[in-house]
Amino acid sequence: MALGDLEREVMTQLWDAGEPLTVRQVHERLSRQRDLAYTTVMTVLDRLAKKGVVTQQKADRAYKYAPSQSREEMTASVMLDALSSSVDQDAALAYFVGQLSPDALAAAIEASQKQK
Amino acid sequence: MTALLLGALGLTLSLVVPGLLANARWPDRAPAAAVALWQSITLTGVLAALGVVLAAPEEVTRAADSGRRVTEVAVIGALVVAAVIILRLLISLAGVTRRSRARRARHRMLVDLLDRAEQHREIGPDHLRVLDGALPLAYCVPGREPRVVLSRGVLQVLDREQINAVLAHEQTHLRHRHEVVMESFTAFYRAVPGPLRSRQPLDAVHLLLEMIADDAARRRVGAEPLRAALERLTDAVPLAEDVKPDPRGDARRRRLDRLSASHTPSVALNVLAGVAAVGLLVLPTVILVLPWLDKALDKWPL
Repeated sequence: MALGDLEREVMTQLWDAGEPLTVRQVHERLSRQRDLAYTTVMTVLDRLAKKGVVTQQKADRAYKYAPSQSREEMTASVMLDALSSSVDQDAALAYFVGQLSPDALAAAIEASQKQK
Repeated sequence: MTALLLGALGLTLSLVVPGLLANARWPDRAPAAAVALWQSITLTGVLAALGVVLAAPEEVTRAADSGRRVTEVAVIGALVVAAVIILRLLISLAGVTRRSRARRARHRMLVDLLDRAEQHREIGPDHLRVLDGALPLAYCVPGREPRVVLSRGVLQVLDREQINAVLAHEQTHLRHRHEVVMESFTAFYRAVPGPLRSRQPLDAVHLLLEMIADDAARRRVGAEPLRAALERLTDAVPLAEDVKPDPRGDARRRRLDRLSASHTPSVALNVLAGVAAVGLLVLPTVILVLPWLDKALDKWPL
């Protein structure tokens, strides 16, 4: 299994859990579907923490990991990043088919967040 | 004389021509050639500016019959200014490239983590990522490991054929490395001093690149699905009331219009624009710069 897929699945577990998890807990959840080494999970969590998408907190002599943002927050910030690529700021990151102004889309993102 | 003519050419190319070309409608029928023409206009503008900087001091000192010492200083000064212009352009390009690369790398990392892989197994390309958002959004993240990103909203409002049209459009941006073109124009825009700076090339080239991607997608899946996708994606966005009117609605209309007309790529326009692009680059050099260089080198003081 590719490291990227594994990172995604670990994030999904953390998001779905809704509370900080220890390495062991993440390992248990992932092991239901496949054989996976404990140390691999540890490495992946460490990598995610280095990338800043996971925070590490010490609780009862064990480290617990939690996503630094909820899936919804991170999705919204990624979409905003894609949309705020106004050309005079920086080279366009996103070419989007719709061609709406970043302002209009930012407002739309907010609106769709509120609907949830 | 050479310096004056080059100066006039440079000012025309940076102040007059962009307005004319940005408002013309023929580029809609030959977008790729029009991009080449914009590149040629921009590059020739830079070369003209360098020409003025190099030729003016030499011509003035020659006309005034200044002494060897003065001519030397003038020529060295000219070389320094020319080097500064070139450096400024290169530094701007390096900065834009570095920043957008870092930004894309982070963006790619995040969409990889957020990907709802289970929602698009059957849609296709390996580098497709689906974000869990209701807002319909489709874009690409260029780079060595490119990504095409769709939101769940896109999968909901578009049918399979329309999704293929959107994918074909984004793939074209990636395959043709359109981000490199945009980055070079952005770098140039940022390097130019305020009063001479114009957004027109940036906006025009951005729209032309969209048209090029539209044409490629139309060739692959037909105009109708692409047109429908373009219309639906924007219509599906719930617009808040206090949003400013869409400044690029005009551009979208242009793209829709050319998609509803039957596709007749104009060979004549392509050839004409191509010839103009090459001519613009080559002719001033041959007509103005070479004769001057010939004279100037005769009296080269260094």
